[in-house]
Amino acid sequence: MHDLEYYKKIGFKCGLEIHQRLATKEKLFCSCSTDPCKDRVIGYVERRQRAVAGELGAMDRSTSFESSRGRSFVYNIFKNTSCLVDIDEEPPHQVNREAIAIALRFASAFDARIPDEIEPMRKEVVDGSDPSAFQRSMMVAYDGKIEVNGKPIPITSVFLEEESSGIESIKGDAAVYNVDRIGIPLVEIDTDPSIATPGEARSAALKIGLILRLTGGKEGDAVASEVQRGIGTIRQDVNVSIAGGTRVEVKGLQEIDSVDVFIENEVTRQLKLLEIKKILLERKASVENKPKELTKILEYESGKIIKDAISHGGIVLGARLCGFAGILGMEINPDRRLGSEISDYAKMAGVRGVIHSDEELGKYELNDQTVAKIKEHLGAGSGDAFVMIAAERQACEKAMEFALSRARMALSEVPPETRAVADSRKCTTRFMRPLPGGSRMYPETDAEPIEIAESYYGAIKEHTVYMDERIAKIKKDLSNQQIAEQMVYSIRLPLYEYITSKVKGINLVVATILLEKVKELERAGIETELDRDVFVEIFKRYSEGEITKAGIGEVIRYSPKSAIEVRKIIKEKSLQKISGNELKHIVDRMSYEGKADIVKELMSKYRLNVDGEELNKLTGGRK
Amino acid sequence: MYSKELLGLFEKLGIKIGDTISISSDSDTQEGILMPKTEAGGSGIMVIKRKDGYNVGIKYKKGTVIAKISSSPSHHFSFPKAQATSSKSLNNIAMLYTGGTIGSKIDYVSGGVYMLTKPEELLHEVPELNGIANIGINGLMSIASEDMTYVEWQRIAEETAKALNSGARGVVVTLGTNTMHYTSAALSFMLKDLNAPVVLTGAMRSSDRGSSDAFVNLICSCSIAAKSDVAEVGICMHGTSSDSKNLFIRGTKVRKMHTSRRDAFKPINSSPICAIDAKGRIEYLGDYKPIDASAKKSVSAVTGFEPKVALVRTHPNSDPGIIDYYVNKGYRGIIIEGTGMGEFPSSPSVKQFSWLDHVKDAAGSGIVVGGTSQCVYGRVNHIVYRNLRLLEDIGVVNCEDMLSEVAYVKLGFLLGNNDAKKAREMLNVNIAGEITYRTEFKEDFTEQ
Repeated sequence: MHDLEYYKKIGFKCGLEIHQRLATKEKLFCSCSTDPCKDRVIGYVERRQRAVAGELGAMDRSTSFESSRGRSFVYNIFKNTSCLVDIDEEPPHQVNREAIAIALRFASAFDARIPDEIEPMRKEVVDGSDPSAFQRSMMVAYDGKIEVNGKPIPITSVFLEEESSGIESIKGDAAVYNVDRIGIPLVEIDTDPSIATPGEARSAALKIGLILRLTGGKEGDAVASEVQRGIGTIRQDVNVSIAGGTRVEVKGLQEIDSVDVFIENEVTRQLKLLEIKKILLERKASVENKPKELTKILEYESGKIIKDAISHGGIVLGARLCGFAGILGMEINPDRRLGSEISDYAKMAGVRGVIHSDEELGKYELNDQTVAKIKEHLGAGSGDAFVMIAAERQACEKAMEFALSRARMALSEVPPETRAVADSRKCTTRFMRPLPGGSRMYPETDAEPIEIAESYYGAIKEHTVYMDERIAKIKKDLSNQQIAEQMVYSIRLPLYEYITSKVKGINLVVATILLEKVKELERAGIETELDRDVFVEIFKRYSEGEITKAGIGEVIRYSPKSAIEVRKIIKEKSLQKISGNELKHIVDRMSYEGKADIVKELMSKYRLNVDGEELNKLTGGRK
Repeated sequence: MYSKELLGLFEKLGIKIGDTISISSDSDTQEGILMPKTEAGGSGIMVIKRKDGYNVGIKYKKGTVIAKISSSPSHHFSFPKAQATSSKSLNNIAMLYTGGTIGSKIDYVSGGVYMLTKPEELLHEVPELNGIANIGINGLMSIASEDMTYVEWQRIAEETAKALNSGARGVVVTLGTNTMHYTSAALSFMLKDLNAPVVLTGAMRSSDRGSSDAFVNLICSCSIAAKSDVAEVGICMHGTSSDSKNLFIRGTKVRKMHTSRRDAFKPINSSPICAIDAKGRIEYLGDYKPIDASAKKSVSAVTGFEPKVALVRTHPNSDPGIIDYYVNKGYRGIIIEGTGMGEFPSSPSVKQFSWLDHVKDAAGSGIVVGGTSQCVYGRVNHIVYRNLRLLEDIGVVNCEDMLSEVAYVKLGFLLGNNDAKKAREMLNVNIAGEITYRTEFKEDFTEQ
């Protein structure tokens, strides 16, 4: 990582968009459950979508692009978590007032302004992730701020919107989505682009996440948890640009710890693309407008991709990239090249990718003689490169059009794009779609504007528990301040608060189990995203002396699905606690039998059943 | 609509909808494009579109300062258009455009969606249409289907006949869905000697959204008009909730059966004529009248219609005085939608609820009375039960398996072109596929 001066020098600009799912009972515009667990698919519908003009009559570049891909989509429908509203067969119901109240609480926590009337909008999305081809979204506040390490960072806007559907699979032209989570209320918090370094972006993301988890409404004496927990319920998008480069949005970062690395990589990618542009301009490079068909030349090739395409009636297209020799293979990110970028564009037409001349062509079983023939046919000289695509005719032509458009961009700009994670370990990204503009916003005519009376907002503010208040309570309840600090920042904080509101007096045990044991089990690949009431049952068993602290982790290890299963596991796996007279009896017997090291022997046999402290007391420290 | 106070202020400041303005209060300034206010009723809340595309509403209060920043660029609020093309290898069809959700955009005057789209805008959104047929678009009117009357039916019938007699191979009529099945029945009766497909279509989701069913409905409807050999009026809408298959259903055997689903239109007491997909593949499913290539007669629009016909529904405790009301108003025909096989209250314990004498008097005075059933599916009968025989005795015409809405339209049509005697005679005689004399068995009668 570089220092602040470096980022100033390269004209670094960065803004965040944090998305957090809310823990409301119902979805934003219908009465479906927001709990996607325990549901099942009951059918599907198949739909086609296309781009339509926005409110001002302009077509947005991102929606036009997606639409030109001409895909059809399948939506899996679920019993409890989807209804006609979710599959665009019924107009939206009244807006969820619970979600509005939560969003306004957040707006207040970010010290943002609330408009007098909230206007529900449609944000066009034609990637298929929404059966209605738009996502309902509304601006609930603007012009707020947070403080990150003493520096104020403006919060430009707070949105309340519908969660999109989750993708199940993509096969060529057909994408399959699940509509169980679509329409779950989501807040989006945007910062302005004044974040000065990747490190600061990470700190800001942490701070926003913290405020979202720790701002809540009073529910009697308790503080209601207002955000969903677990993987995927909070996502970070980052907007990055550098001088000479462009704004690029990296979407869907789930691990906050690597946000800075992703940003750093995006900076590198843009710098490299600018370097490439410079070289290409010096070489007076250009991109062929018309691809040529290579099917005849490659008819008898045995390489899988080419053979598959031709044997299924497809074709092979190729095009010369003048002056591009060596450029396609230049690394712009770990394991990512200009060739990968071009390939990403081509894939949007449903092909498997492109073959280009900077690759080791042997892996496609193309020998030097064939390559020479291809080059000759395309008219490619020694300073030139070429790209090739093998697929069904229509897809192939479309893919080539996309690929060449990307190659052309290399001569002029860093394209404004929305990018998705390509490799979460290497923190690299891939092209997803062109960056959307404002033209995709359209008023949601099926929903009424929501007037926010000052008195209504005042009442919400009064019942808002702010972050500092909640942190103070957590610190008070937990004697160990280090653990308290960890708990505050933990994604499991809402779970901690829920459990401790139901089972009293064991806060420290709950905190340590959630922070340490659950994490440990999760790393071992065990399903630990249990229903929160299952957790309550486990800790209740502990609190009532039925199991030991070590036993808690053991029950979780079996991932029970219900309270009944918790009790079954305790019984079947013999996890009942041994204490009091029963324990004394065992100790006495062992002592009578003249066992040497009673504690050690007992613990090796009853590690999960005996409380070490009680045993120590009972044995009075003797071995 | 904005409040009078705001509209006055805008005028004074030279601000028009679409201009970029700033709104400042003591602590805040917002800039954006002034949007039309969608909601009906006066409003003191200004809606502006921010740079990020979002609209927000800001109240005009004491101390609020509004200023114009720049005028609206000319391209705002005009939607992309495309012209219909022409090719010798394609058939000519006519598209009569009458309004409805299929061509609706937001309407800032009354709020909600309204019919504002020009036909050329529709073509821009469905470029596939140019590959199906040479389409002559005729923007007849822009009206919501619930506002349609027989006057519009007459106009559509006349224009359809005109288009067909001027060489169109088929006609597509785009209209609102709420009363589409009334219009389809009216056209079925009004188009005499029809020898071409007349396809009614619309949309359940407005065409200003990418998921609209309008696109597939238009493609399928134009394909039927251009390629099918059906010489009937029918409705072509989605067959299921998916975009994969449309149904073409006879105009007198179809009913809107759902408030919002894409596949709201179902065939009743009949099979659909055919299924069709977005690639134009037609699969014939039921009987139909094929195009007669040797026919010489041109189609004529017989558009007489008697608006003084009522459709009345009986139910427990219903007041038969409604019949007297219509009699006194000079009505010439009444369709009574009874229960079950067509029964209505004839011998209730509370005598005042009996419809018998009221209907008998009406029929006796020369009004044509027809009986249908609110069961929707099945056939009415005037023999099985005593109460049914009483209906027969007092002169109620048994409308067989005709839908109530169709019986209503048919009676209006008959009385508009004939005397009462002829109309009574013809009411239960099949004219346009509205009556089928035998009903095929189906495992589930609601299935197509």
